[in-house]
Amino acid sequence: MSTDHYHGGVVDDIMVVGVGGQGVIVAAAVIADTAMLHGGLDVKLSETRGMSQRGGSVNSHIRIGETVVAPSISPGEVDYLLAFESAEGLRTAPSLVPGGVAIINTQQIVPPLASQGDMSYPFDAAERMALGDRRVTVVDGNGIALEVGELKVAGIVLVGALSTHLPFDVETWQAAIVRNVPPKWKDLNFAAFAAGREVGA
Amino acid sequence: MDTHLMLGNEAVARGAWEAGVQVAAAYPGTPSTEIVTNLARYDGVYAEWSTNEKVAYEVAFGAAMGGVRALTAMKSAGGSVAADPLISSVYTGVNGGLVVCLAGDPGMASGMTEQDDRYFGRISSMPMLEPADSQECYEYAKRAFAMSEEFDVPVMVRLSIQTAHQKSIVRFDGEIAGEGDGPAGLTRPAPERRPPDRKTEKYCLLPKFSRPLHRSLLERVERLRVFAEASAASGDLAQVVPAAGPVPLQGGGTARIGVVSAGAAYLSAREALPGAAFLKLGMIHPLPLDAIRAFAQTVDRLFVVEELEPYLEEQILAAGILCEGKQWFPQWGELTAVRVGRGFSAAGLDLPRWAEEKAAEDGSVIPRPPVLCTGCPHRGMATAMKKLNLDVHGDIGCYDLTTLPPVSHMHSAVEMGASIPMEQGFMRAGGSETGSLAVIGDSTFLHSGLTGLLNAVHQRTDLTLLIQDNSITAMTGGQTNPGNERTLAGVETKPVDIAGICKALGVEQIEIVDPYDYEACLAALKAGLAYEGPAVIITNRPCMLFPRKIGGEEAFTVDEDVCNACQQCMKLGCPSLSHTEAEHKGRHKVKIDEETCTGCSLCEQLCKPGAISKAKAGVA
Repeated sequence: MSTDHYHGGVVDDIMVVGVGGQGVIVAAAVIADTAMLHGGLDVKLSETRGMSQRGGSVNSHIRIGETVVAPSISPGEVDYLLAFESAEGLRTAPSLVPGGVAIINTQQIVPPLASQGDMSYPFDAAERMALGDRRVTVVDGNGIALEVGELKVAGIVLVGALSTHLPFDVETWQAAIVRNVPPKWKDLNFAAFAAGREVGA
Repeated sequence: MDTHLMLGNEAVARGAWEAGVQVAAAYPGTPSTEIVTNLARYDGVYAEWSTNEKVAYEVAFGAAMGGVRALTAMKSAGGSVAADPLISSVYTGVNGGLVVCLAGDPGMASGMTEQDDRYFGRISSMPMLEPADSQECYEYAKRAFAMSEEFDVPVMVRLSIQTAHQKSIVRFDGEIAGEGDGPAGLTRPAPERRPPDRKTEKYCLLPKFSRPLHRSLLERVERLRVFAEASAASGDLAQVVPAAGPVPLQGGGTARIGVVSAGAAYLSAREALPGAAFLKLGMIHPLPLDAIRAFAQTVDRLFVVEELEPYLEEQILAAGILCEGKQWFPQWGELTAVRVGRGFSAAGLDLPRWAEEKAAEDGSVIPRPPVLCTGCPHRGMATAMKKLNLDVHGDIGCYDLTTLPPVSHMHSAVEMGASIPMEQGFMRAGGSETGSLAVIGDSTFLHSGLTGLLNAVHQRTDLTLLIQDNSITAMTGGQTNPGNERTLAGVETKPVDIAGICKALGVEQIEIVDPYDYEACLAALKAGLAYEGPAVIITNRPCMLFPRKIGGEEAFTVDEDVCNACQQCMKLGCPSLSHTEAEHKGRHKVKIDEETCTGCSLCEQLCKPGAISKAKAGVA
């Protein structure tokens, strides 16, 4: 793949969403580092706001282009949505551009509020996401991670699935993974990335 | 590799280290925390988590008086806590450079207010730089130290959550540039210490000395104004970005549009209106008004785009320069590109990108606010306070999360240390029929709770105080405090005895309770409320997350046949409890996620039919 499209002024807007504790921040750092390590591109990442470790909704914005100005993505301008949790995917779906790509993990985490009776959890989130012209890929990130050998690498499976849409080679992705995971987890994460890349292709 | 992707806060730390900072002191506070977290990793920097922002400021101030470069960092509210030394230190000036990083939170991602910190520059006459991205965070940190010593004054680096918590590309300059973003393996030339100051007339703010110091402060402001103009004229701390062309107007025609902006708002404004001319300010106090006037003369309409208050706009208007600002752009919340774009549209500019209102989120999806972690030691007391229907006057910490459903037990949580004096006042007003108490965590108690308790005791107030001691500063990410056995620098230290402090302050009724024992929580609260005079209850379980997760406790499970769907356990708001499809009398039964359950056992204690038991033992 080539990064020529960036020379025409295109900015790729990538949003990673999930629930605090799922590894959204590490995944976002891997994506942004990949673009940075590729060289010659501008990258901005806007970190999640608020209390990320307390089970709330979290999101990270990554913007890649020749020149990137604002660090956060404007509403309705997300090109790629990577959802670690399906209801969080549904929540942010309106942010996608027409024809935008969404990669949705099948994992469903029901918030405690759902037990209070007023609002129910959208178990059909993935189906509802697929409405319109969105290009939705549903990935069993946790299942694939367990096959690879460790649930904790589910986030990198999802990054692998997204990677097929972005113009960076596997070696650059791997270099970015190395920067963001503990050394002893390197091989597992490489395997998770490769498995994710297969389902994303 | 010459490019590095860094958080704004990381870049501030890197710049400060390259500039030779030797002492860094702060109290953690979002979004400023990572500055000192990062500085602590560098060689040759003494870094500490101080007990509060005023103390941190004074430690850094004293280090600067002692002849080294020093830094302090704080969030907006911390700036208010440190306001006294902040203002006074501009009178005295410094010796080694002193840099004050003040990080605001427009949008209130985690702040209690969204105060506009730029007014600290005006109220104190402290010069202020405002970076827009991580590169400028790195550069301005270095510049601030140089300016501090050149003008003999502390210099503020004003950040917002958008700059502090964005990652963008940084290119290092100078000879220290090495591999990697972090401090590992890097060395710098040993910073030189200036001779320590021993100058009564400079540092003793008695009227005899402070009156002339105020006059020299005003003269210094004039020199800084000249500096700001010269620096803007050379394109150094202010840059003019020429327009791509005139901007089309709604209903036809075009106009030459100019925008004055700084910091995060500048990036939003350029994203919103890339074709306009910009005057991007890096120094925001004092302002280079001549440069702004010259820029205004090159455009048909001058807009000022800034977050929160009309800080720039009012000064520009007062200088007789016509501009437009807050009539178009909101005075609250984070000023994102779309909000700036819609402001320009309202002002008559023809901007197709912002013409249509687009949703960022589907509001019909169930909200997911942050919650207390599974096994959080705050949960037991919160549930017990709710059960007793008490008026609960809280403070700043994770326990504020139980303000919301399902626990919903807290009735005030305003600012650091407020719980105890506000409860004292509430009791003086007559208290409440069901009883009331103050609730504070260990770090906040040590930050600014002691003086309130001392006052309550001294005034012989009948007051109950619950100290939820989880032995860490949890909400900001697990920083150490004097209750810990190690400092930020890793030095072994003596953990403070909180019960001993209360005793020394004159409290005679002190009870230490296990917050995982629900009945004990209820009993301790009742005993504390019944006691005439100041009573303190202290919980003794560590935070679930920091410094390490508690382990070894067995997970619990629910016997669905026994569960009668009474919902008592669901009142805990534990993320590991959820409903099953099975129902009893129209209510859902409950299940426990054994992967995340920590075995705190509170749900088991609340379960009347006895449906909850240890997972391993429960298998028949």
